[in-house]
Amino acid sequence: MQLSADEKQSIRVLILRLVDDLHRVAMQLTGRADAAEELVADTVARASERFRQLHDRAKVKQWLLRILTNTFISTYRQRKSHAVVSLDEHDGENFSLFDQLSVPLLLWGSNPERELINKLLDEDIQKAIAALPEQFRIVVVLCDIEGLTYQEIAESLRIPIGTVRSRIARGRTILQKHLWEYAREAEILPRSHTKALTLQKEQEHEALHT
Amino acid sequence: MKHSTPKPISCEQALKRVFDFIDGQLKDRSREELEQHLAVCRHCFDRVEFEKLVKTRLGKLRKQTDSAELRKKISLLIDSY
Repeated sequence: MQLSADEKQSIRVLILRLVDDLHRVAMQLTGRADAAEELVADTVARASERFRQLHDRAKVKQWLLRILTNTFISTYRQRKSHAVVSLDEHDGENFSLFDQLSVPLLLWGSNPERELINKLLDEDIQKAIAALPEQFRIVVVLCDIEGLTYQEIAESLRIPIGTVRSRIARGRTILQKHLWEYAREAEILPRSHTKALTLQKEQEHEALHT
Repeated sequence: MKHSTPKPISCEQALKRVFDFIDGQLKDRSREELEQHLAVCRHCFDRVEFEKLVKTRLGKLRKQTDSAELRKKISLLIDSY
């Protein structure tokens, strides 16, 4: 499709205004600068081809994010031959870092859950996000990093709000489980948590022998 | 219209609303019920504070990218259509 000079100028203005947003999301989804630039370029190419299908320019951000996420999913699957992850295959459905880390009243005043979050480096969290299945990674990035509302995410991905809600909940749960596993492997669990575990073991031991 | 007091909810009901609450998605009555529960339940209050903290921590990953070169490429790309 050949665009007129006016159309080229319109799409240029619309896209350049949002290019930082697209670039940031692409970086979060791909995790690599070269792949992110390529993803944005592919998105712009597809958007230019379909420019006449954009009827509501007030929703151009959602339109571009839809093209970007669809491009990411199709490219990612092609390149990595990545199996589609079933929404039911992941364990840890009710996992919560808070439940793992919060301490008994006896140790009130310590706050291991806050300590752990403050100990994590950006890199640790980025790795945990990168390990999320793509359906969940996309909504977590759009909601928690980009600050989009559920409505905006639903419009961007063309999925019902209920699906956005459940994917966000599931994505956060899996993310917290990854962070927990990482913290255990890297041995960066807060001291107050270790202390609480020791205390719990002592109490169990006492209960057994009284 | 008379505004009635929010009805009490259980911890289980409260925890199901945590993500909607921190994302600003809870409607008036539902939010009031949760807020009333949080005012009397330390465990659920701490859980909400923790989830807010995680969300804020993720939000800090939103960093400015250097898109100068990319802008030039995009402009040239659009010209080719």
